Amino acid sequence: MKKKFILLSFLAVWAIALSACLFDSDENALSSWLSDQGMPDSYKVQTLSIEDLTPISAEVFLDTTPRSANDRAIFGRSANIQHDFVMDFGFDKGLLGTLKKADSAASFLFLRLLPSLYKSKYFPKDSFPIEEDLSVKVSWKLTRSKKSSFLDDVMEITDSEWHKSLLKWKPDMTVDTTYSISIGKKDSTLTLVLPRALIDSIRSEVSLCRLQLRLSAPEAKHVYRFYGPNYLYGPQFRMTTLSDTTFTYRNVTPFRVADVIKSQEDCSDCQVLHGGVFDSMVVEFPSEPIMKGLSEFYGDDFPYNLGDGNDVRQAVVLAQMTFSRDDESQGFSELGRPIQVVVGSFMDSATTTFRKMEEYKLNKKLITKEGHPNMVFHEGDSLTLQVTYGMREFINKASDGRTFKMMMRLGYPVLQEKDDAYKNYITSKGDTSYVFLSQFDYARYDFTESMKKPATLKLWLASKRGND
Amino acid sequence: MKKFLSILLCFSAVSFASMIGLDALGEEQTLGGMASMAGRGYAGSAKTGEAEGISLMNPARIAFDTKVVFNINFLMEFLAIEHNEEYYTTNTISIPSFNLSFPMGNYGALGLSLWQHYASILDVESEDSTTVINAKMKYQSSVYEVVPSYALRIPYLRNFSLGASAHFVMGNVERSLSLGPDNSEVSKNDSWATNNAKLSDYVDGTWEVKNHPAYYSIALQYRGRQTSYFFSFTTPYTLENKLNYNFRFSEIDTLAPTSYTREIDVPMTLATGMNFRFKKRNNVMLDLQWRSWDDEVENIGKSFSMDPITKTQNDILLAAGFQRDGSPLFYDKYWDRITYRFGGWYKGWYVENTHELGGSIGAGFPLGRKGTTLDLAFQGGKRFVDDGHNWEETFIGVRLGLMGVGNWGSTAR
Repeated sequence: MKKKFILLSFLAVWAIALSACLFDSDENALSSWLSDQGMPDSYKVQTLSIEDLTPISAEVFLDTTPRSANDRAIFGRSANIQHDFVMDFGFDKGLLGTLKKADSAASFLFLRLLPSLYKSKYFPKDSFPIEEDLSVKVSWKLTRSKKSSFLDDVMEITDSEWHKSLLKWKPDMTVDTTYSISIGKKDSTLTLVLPRALIDSIRSEVSLCRLQLRLSAPEAKHVYRFYGPNYLYGPQFRMTTLSDTTFTYRNVTPFRVADVIKSQEDCSDCQVLHGGVFDSMVVEFPSEPIMKGLSEFYGDDFPYNLGDGNDVRQAVVLAQMTFSRDDESQGFSELGRPIQVVVGSFMDSATTTFRKMEEYKLNKKLITKEGHPNMVFHEGDSLTLQVTYGMREFINKASDGRTFKMMMRLGYPVLQEKDDAYKNYITSKGDTSYVFLSQFDYARYDFTESMKKPATLKLWLASKRGND
Repeated sequence: MKKFLSILLCFSAVSFASMIGLDALGEEQTLGGMASMAGRGYAGSAKTGEAEGISLMNPARIAFDTKVVFNINFLMEFLAIEHNEEYYTTNTISIPSFNLSFPMGNYGALGLSLWQHYASILDVESEDSTTVINAKMKYQSSVYEVVPSYALRIPYLRNFSLGASAHFVMGNVERSLSLGPDNSEVSKNDSWATNNAKLSDYVDGTWEVKNHPAYYSIALQYRGRQTSYFFSFTTPYTLENKLNYNFRFSEIDTLAPTSYTREIDVPMTLATGMNFRFKKRNNVMLDLQWRSWDDEVENIGKSFSMDPITKTQNDILLAAGFQRDGSPLFYDKYWDRITYRFGGWYKGWYVENTHELGGSIGAGFPLGRKGTTLDLAFQGGKRFVDDGHNWEETFIGVRLGLMGVGNWGSTAR
């Protein structure tokens, strides 16, 4: 039996060896054959510009849901957005007992300014000293209980429930006060003396007590940024007592804080975006001029209505929408750096639509010469945003009569606008090169005029169409 | 179109079967590509015996079998391709069919086959010196058939048998052309946008028979003392190939595909054959199979400058072969127990102007006493194409079939 297998294996090997030697192989034969079959070796790319695209609508949305400020807290007003600072405290009986026994007491708030902003070399030096007479409404709510688990119950209130409750803020008391603020280059703390009425109402009774304290400054000229309670240097509420001649103090840190924003914009038809807050603008373009541009370019019918109407004759490799801009008349920024504009598009998914953030492909030559084209507050008079995913989906499914929608909002300030990295990176020397500042600029940009003027769409299209 | 790939440096990872009809149906695996049939030039569907097993063209034959037969067939093929006096060689390995037949005495015989009827395979990759993107071309289509069959010797006319089979068609098709950008029409300042932008022209789909669960064959077989005949008819049917066309950046970054169904009208097939036995164990056989294509076959095509259709012609198989049966007696000399075969065939493909001429030698080596056999066939031939468009292919193939025979169901005599 073994012999037979050896014989058979020998025959098979012999056949393979023979066939390999019989012919000289030449790859040109294969490529010329593929060519004759009309098989491609690459896809053809063409560019197309469609001008005079005027948006049908542009709508801004501002999410005013209070947000946790446990990491970085903010207070004041900038770019027509008011930022209220709300703190949540719990006091035990021991502390309140001491407070009650004392002959007199006072309270202060220490806010540690963010060195990563104020001490940064990118913070405009001419901003110091930051001075103003700041009118602040100090308001608070005190809740008390004799139940031993009271503070634990308070801690169990979720942040989202608490944030929701802040939208219906009904304080026990509000005191208007004015602080004279002066922050110099070397200052690191903002100290606010709190109204007498606050400490008096806290120490009026000895029982477990929750304090929600809110500071609002609707007239403020600046925003002040400081550490939140997640840091060792978080906000501190200091209570001092004086009994006979004994002076004592005790610091309490809020267990959570929130940033409650309020828009002071008075133009409801304006398209204004703000930095650092959750607002966005959705711009809608009509389908017809884009379809017409494609029809004229390809000589085909657009939208594509055959079969299920999904157009796969071409794919968008890249799409750019260019708007006009005028920073002088349209914008206000705190830090004076260019600010990136972040873009999203709307995509279908099963039965719903979701927003997908666009990728940003780098045109390195242009960036090193003129800077990133997707920024406001820098040289030039146009804003070019990449909308590749959105435009790809739009042309693919335009047969259902949809319009093209894109979303934009203000992102982080850009420190090196002509660096083609577009992300922080480590240099060959081992230093970190920061392309972005890690803080938002509480800026304002009014796109109303930009949206009235026509935009230009530029498409890079890959086509499957044959050459003949 | 610009002359293809002057920039191509080399191809790698090549694997394909015949590329004739690649965009249409692909290559037909005649008669399930069985090693035993191939050894005698695809002739001998009329030959009856104790353990001949299934013939996909002649479902009536197994009625005369007395033994259970199972076989699995492998094909290793080497192709040399000639186009404009340039050559290219490649090889492929496939398993064209499994077959099981189960005789049940007076109750007839049952059979079941899994047959890769049509297949096209191409997997080439090219390197481009100007971009980092490699072009990849991949075709993978197989039209599979699951074929149950039943055959019965006619009562009172015991030399005749009738057989029928149903061909349940299934399978899938995939074509993927992954390409890099051609920026020749883009201004230099705009070419940055296509960096790393690899796109695939991607099609996938499934095969089935339109409006019916299957298509059918019926056959009549006569077994004479010396001469046997068969005649078979296979119904025409329409193959439905549901396709999704896409143009995608990656598997997770795609467009919404557009669907399209191509329909291929496969005409009826008539087949006949005879087997003449002399000196007990010597057989001469002759087979003819004919299929008259009316319509052209629509290609997967639809992209770039690829042909939208494949023109067809009459599809004919003319096969002649000889077989000397091995001795069934295990105590005979081993060389006498081997079955020897040779044959030749002419096949007009369904693709217009494509003709195949081939010859083969084969042998069946008995393994052990139970009737297990290893069939081996060497075949060679050429596919002539005279349209100046397709290429000519010279092929050498090794087919290996493993046949198991059992006595289940038959009583000891």
